[in-house]
Amino acid sequence: MAKGKANQNKYSVILPTYNERQNLPVLVQMLYDVFTKENLEWEIIIVDDASPDGTLDRAKALQKSFGADHIVLRPREGKLGLGTAYVHGLQSVTGNFVIIMDADFSHHPKFIPDMVKIQAATNCDIVTGTRYRTYTPTGLDSKMLGGVYGWDVKRKLTSQGANILADFLLAPGVSDLTGSFRLYKKEAVIKVIEATESKGFTFQMELMARAKAMGLHVEECPITFVDRVYGESKLGGEEIVEYLKGLTGLWWKV
Amino acid sequence: MTRATQTISFALLACSGYLLLALPLLMDESPIPSILPTKLQVEIVPVLPFWALISLACYLLGRLGWGVLNFNDTEDAYHELMGQIEQAKKDLDKRKVGWN
Repeated sequence: MAKGKANQNKYSVILPTYNERQNLPVLVQMLYDVFTKENLEWEIIIVDDASPDGTLDRAKALQKSFGADHIVLRPREGKLGLGTAYVHGLQSVTGNFVIIMDADFSHHPKFIPDMVKIQAATNCDIVTGTRYRTYTPTGLDSKMLGGVYGWDVKRKLTSQGANILADFLLAPGVSDLTGSFRLYKKEAVIKVIEATESKGFTFQMELMARAKAMGLHVEECPITFVDRVYGESKLGGEEIVEYLKGLTGLWWKV
Repeated sequence: MTRATQTISFALLACSGYLLLALPLLMDESPIPSILPTKLQVEIVPVLPFWALISLACYLLGRLGWGVLNFNDTEDAYHELMGQIEQAKKDLDKRKVGWN
């Protein structure tokens, strides 16, 4: 056991930020609480894309408070996109597991220990959060609830419709293809990200589709997703078209 | 093999299979004899593609309805999260890190 920790692993969370001055500190505090309670070795890599609201200064204050061994800053010169942010952050990862999640509280850090347990029990390459299933995953003792707070019927229809379409076209073998709360083995994420080409939210779909196509072992963890803690959840026609284009692209390429 | 290749291969296979059954209906002098009893051949085979399409649509729509019906609204998770955000803000104040 390393320094009295629960296991020999180190968990690196990559957080791309753009104008997250208010959310970032709270999220870091919540991650700190979870990792400390579970006695896990951890680090958070903050990739800030030159946020005009001073997110980077907040990140520096967090680094001072929590320690430079836990908070790693890898800022960039401009708004360069999510996919490249992950690649950039990956270069600084010193852990053997990488966690990717949203920075707006839709993904709750409390699920990280559950994902860790599932990974330990199955030795899988990826644990992906799912909002659409409720069951007891391998490695956990009790049933876990998958669901969402903050979606009206129209939004539920669109999301379920999108997921069923993706499941039918791609048959990926995961119940939530557009989800982006995942725990990866470091080698797995590097391997998959190198092959990924898409931008936007199709990026997350492609990561999973490629991972499955490469034969990686993927397990799921039911999660609760709290949408839009501040403000309205919007899903316009434009996003739907982008999604369909992305899906067809994946069907063709992967 | 990409998913597209798999789908297209399957589609071609299904078309060939269907053509095998439908050829006697399409041609007067069919090289392949009808392998089904006449009643099936005349009444079922012509409508098979439409049946398949409608069945598929029903299946997908059924899944959609079922999924939306069984969707979990997790209001508890929302309240839990709000509480924890407030607690985190208090902890940050102790650490003298701003959050506004």
